Amino acid sequence: MRARPVRIDQIIPSIVERDAVSHHTLEAQRVLHSMGFVSEIYARNMGPGLQGRVHLLDDIPREGPEHQWVCYQASIGSPAADVFVSHPGLKLVDYHNISPVELVERWLPHLGEEVRLGRKQLAEMAPTVEVGLADSEFNRAELEEAGYRQSTVAPLMVDTSNYTALPDRRVLDRLAAEHARGGHDWLFVGQMLPHKAHQDVIKALACAREIFDPLARLHLVGRESCPAYAKALHRFVAALGLSGAVDFAGSVSAGELSAYYTSADVLVCCSEHEGFCAPLLEAMHHRLPIVAYGVAAIPETVLDAGIVLPSKSPVLVATAVQRVLGDSALRKELVLAGLERARAFSIEGARRGFAQAVEQVLSAP
Amino acid sequence: MTSRVVAEIEAEVRELRAAGRVPKGLEDELERRFEEIAEASLVAGSLPASEDAAAAIGRSFNPSQLRRQATMLARRRLGPILRRLERRSILGAARAGESAWLQVHVTADHLERLAARSVFASRALSVLRPRGAASAGATLHPTIDGPLLTWVLEQLDNSRPDASGVPGLVLHVECGDGRIVEALAAQGLDARGADPRLSARAGGATSVVAAGALEYLGAAPSAAFGGLLLSGVVDRLRPGAARALAQLAARCLAPGGVVVVVSARPELVVAMDPVAADLALGRPMHPVTWCHLLAHFGLSELTMFEPDEPETDVFAVSARRPLQDQVGREGRRP
Repeated sequence: MRARPVRIDQIIPSIVERDAVSHHTLEAQRVLHSMGFVSEIYARNMGPGLQGRVHLLDDIPREGPEHQWVCYQASIGSPAADVFVSHPGLKLVDYHNISPVELVERWLPHLGEEVRLGRKQLAEMAPTVEVGLADSEFNRAELEEAGYRQSTVAPLMVDTSNYTALPDRRVLDRLAAEHARGGHDWLFVGQMLPHKAHQDVIKALACAREIFDPLARLHLVGRESCPAYAKALHRFVAALGLSGAVDFAGSVSAGELSAYYTSADVLVCCSEHEGFCAPLLEAMHHRLPIVAYGVAAIPETVLDAGIVLPSKSPVLVATAVQRVLGDSALRKELVLAGLERARAFSIEGARRGFAQAVEQVLSAP
Repeated sequence: MTSRVVAEIEAEVRELRAAGRVPKGLEDELERRFEEIAEASLVAGSLPASEDAAAAIGRSFNPSQLRRQATMLARRRLGPILRRLERRSILGAARAGESAWLQVHVTADHLERLAARSVFASRALSVLRPRGAASAGATLHPTIDGPLLTWVLEQLDNSRPDASGVPGLVLHVECGDGRIVEALAAQGLDARGADPRLSARAGGATSVVAAGALEYLGAAPSAAFGGLLLSGVVDRLRPGAARALAQLAARCLAPGGVVVVVSARPELVVAMDPVAADLALGRPMHPVTWCHLLAHFGLSELTMFEPDEPETDVFAVSARRPLQDQVGREGRRP
């Protein structure tokens, strides 16, 4: 059994509000405090609103493993990893996945550099790390492949404010008015980044309107984080004559997001890569059935709470959506399974999982 | 349950296809159209990938693209009474910019080109130029003064010749009026400057050449410099070009040499006036991204300027080429 350290600090390259990994890091700090540890967060960059809660990375204390452990929140390449590797304390890595280079580099060359560096750093730090934590089995397997001797799954502590916010009345009314004109409402939630493959949802919508549901609409919620990609999507929609059918909602408030979930008929996800995919849980919580392409961690996150497809051929996705919308018994089954699955990822459960992972490291010989 | 349903859905797709309900070639057509649009967006949105880094960066200012942008600006914002409103709009855009960077780089750079088309743009440009820099041949550069200037000089002072044989030649790429070059020379360094908009300037201990800054760097021999200061141009590079510039810098530095990048903070773009945003050809990059790029090409000892005043518009990072040469012929780690 290891000596119990006085403090377990966290290092994160950048921390901002309304970001899944940042939220997880703040929650992890609460858990560590509740376990009786001194715990501070050290970041190289921090967004507004976090001053006072987060320290600059240069200020991190440097004590030995009997006094201090450090946990690195890994999701991108960063010089912060070098600070982590050179730290004398016992080391943990909490891995949230790094998008594959080939999925982002075409559109975002600088992000390509960062993810390439991130994967290199992840492998380089493996020999120095005691235990790797991962928020999905998919991510844990990547840690193992990167050379981590010990790894375990500790669920993502998701931001439940997206669950509990009251739907924004104005958005609800607007969506209800559109719905009254006929056709179903598809929803996809996620930053407009190339690996989220928004174009494949748009293609599926085009097929659905051609074959099944001529008035179907698609709402794309999420920040336009890659201008060239966003512009291409806008042009694609216009070229297909779908400008009136595809709503580029952009970044929305928690209340507005809740309104989109409440009003939609189905969540459609054609992402090429997801290390976890928090919007799937949000959809389950909002009783929204899911049709998703089964890649990376998506099958593991969804399990039987959605239709997970082996390919994302537009006609296959459109047919799956049509089946979910037209089969009320199936829809009911998926919603119930989704509620059950969402409970498995409750914030309380995730906090317990993180605490258990830390206890596991403590009790190791 | 779901695997059974998926099998049923796949069967249904087969039936739909067999019954001719899926228009022939629909999926291929959708794929083709997106790829065409994606390709066009990527070509318009970035420099072409090229092995010749200096040449690629040299194309940052594409005249036909500028003409298109200027025409779009005129159509969208200025209307038929072009001249009067053009003056107002351009000055408004420049003044609305809260950052020195917006005024100095985005607006002024493009005003220089618009000046050729309009006497009003020319007047607007003269208003924007910093005092003392408005004379012919002068150019614009980010504000490097106060603690930042002290920090930059300290970093580059490390490039003095020493036992390791590091040459003392320091180059300021896009040096503006040569003020920093003079400051470096005053420290006893062999300092040179290059700026594409500068007429030749000679005298004193400084040597500032009217050269396309990146062409100058691209043509320089490997390991030619003990110190490099990159400013100005780094605010307008597209990501691919930034990578190429970092590669050039790593190649041109002698072992033990230091590169300093001074740039505007990318967050400033968020507050940019739409007119200026239309006109901007590139975007500044985050300091951490610069660190990644410099490290990627084998540089180490990455250091970031940390001002006491956190809300500054400008940041700086420095990096050193290791004495043990880890930078391969192409600038990459072997």
